[in-house]
Amino acid sequence: MELVIFIGAMSVDLHQHVWTPHLLEALARRDRLPFVRRTDGLTVLHGGGELPYVIDTAAESADRRAQLLDADGVDRAVVAMSSPIGIEALPHDVAGELISAHLDGVLALDARFDAWGPVPVDHPDPADVDDVLRRGCVGVSVPASALAGREALDALGPMLERVQSHDVPLFVHPGGVAGGPPHEAPLTEPLWWRALTDYVSQMQAAWLTFAAHGRRELPGLTVVFAMLAGGAPLQSERLATRGGPALDLADPLTFYDTSSYGPGLVDAMAGWVGPAQLVYGSDRPVVEPVRTGRDRTLMDNAARLMGAVGATA
Amino acid sequence: MSLSLDELQRFATALAEAPERWRHLVRHTGDARVYEQIWDDEDVNAWIICWSEDQDTGFHDHDESAAGIAVVSGRVREDRLALGGEPVSREIGPGTTFTLPPVAIHRVLHAGTGPAVTIHCYSPPLRRTGAYRVAPDGTLERESQSFEVELGAELAAV
Repeated sequence: MELVIFIGAMSVDLHQHVWTPHLLEALARRDRLPFVRRTDGLTVLHGGGELPYVIDTAAESADRRAQLLDADGVDRAVVAMSSPIGIEALPHDVAGELISAHLDGVLALDARFDAWGPVPVDHPDPADVDDVLRRGCVGVSVPASALAGREALDALGPMLERVQSHDVPLFVHPGGVAGGPPHEAPLTEPLWWRALTDYVSQMQAAWLTFAAHGRRELPGLTVVFAMLAGGAPLQSERLATRGGPALDLADPLTFYDTSSYGPGLVDAMAGWVGPAQLVYGSDRPVVEPVRTGRDRTLMDNAARLMGAVGATA
Repeated sequence: MSLSLDELQRFATALAEAPERWRHLVRHTGDARVYEQIWDDEDVNAWIICWSEDQDTGFHDHDESAAGIAVVSGRVREDRLALGGEPVSREIGPGTTFTLPPVAIHRVLHAGTGPAVTIHCYSPPLRRTGAYRVAPDGTLERESQSFEVELGAELAAV
């Protein structure tokens, strides 16, 4: 069992993805979405609701990804599953096998990489939380749609209580749930389409659900929303005018990674939720990080967050 | 929607187990109980109270609110007012949470040695309290007051 200690002076990136050979092999054996096909020297990922995606396997080697940490000035990176392709939403045991393959790959990387522990959201089971933490994950991740709406929150509740009881953070990443789109996106769709529509609305729904209902039920749970929760806190005026509850935007245990955003929205969010609640997450290799003008502070905040929750495994 | 006593019990316990929400507010003065609000929504509000030796709320009720009280550190004693007899008392230590329905009339006192820290949750949110005192003719009187008076002030004990 590896002991992971985040020290305040460290720079942490809380949101990366790595396509490891372990996961790609497991996906290549599948004949239903999501799956991987290798043709003409290309490794192509086919995911539910997504356009086919060519994975640059050379750039995903352990060495190249470690070099990228140096280039970014990052001491540690926490790797998440790419939830939009729908692995966590597959039937429980199928999801469990793919998650296990993903963790085999991530935990075999350079020691500077840590893992968020994905959990199946079909028939959610608190024991899955214990399993990924026992394997060495520094927190637990769920796709945003699994947290979108009162019923979804109720279904996930016992699992989230288990995360809270372990005193590790929950990472909410865009992604769907079972019954979501089993088909690939139409080929005429622009590459950015889902990221600016589905992902944003999923994150907003998850944030609203958690802030309006989940927070009181889980007051000790540290939650990190990817991509600034789709800017959901910026909708709070509209929430009020449409008759919604008054929410505590400055909740000290709710954090937001800045992936894909630049100084415009990051500065606005800092004003709404407080600069200490914003943490560095790059979403590499999906996007090239945007300079925010606050990156050093964001990386420190990310290190402090992981240190504060006693991220040991 | 108001929390049930079970929900209040769980909520107070969970807040006590989330020191990130209140650790920075803990301080003790010998003059008065220190209280700081740590939660406020449509259905429940909560305070952290820091107790020093011999501090005492005096007998009071919480008007329409049920309460969940969690002891984080130190010890406190709760007395429930009884007519014609001694109050029904219990002493509570760290890691313990208890609840009381809106109908209860009680007091909480610092107990043991060393300061105490407690977390008090109310649903529906506490707005007013009733303080009890014995009039010169021996009759029991209730005075309605704002919750801030109750949380912070020393009251004449019955």
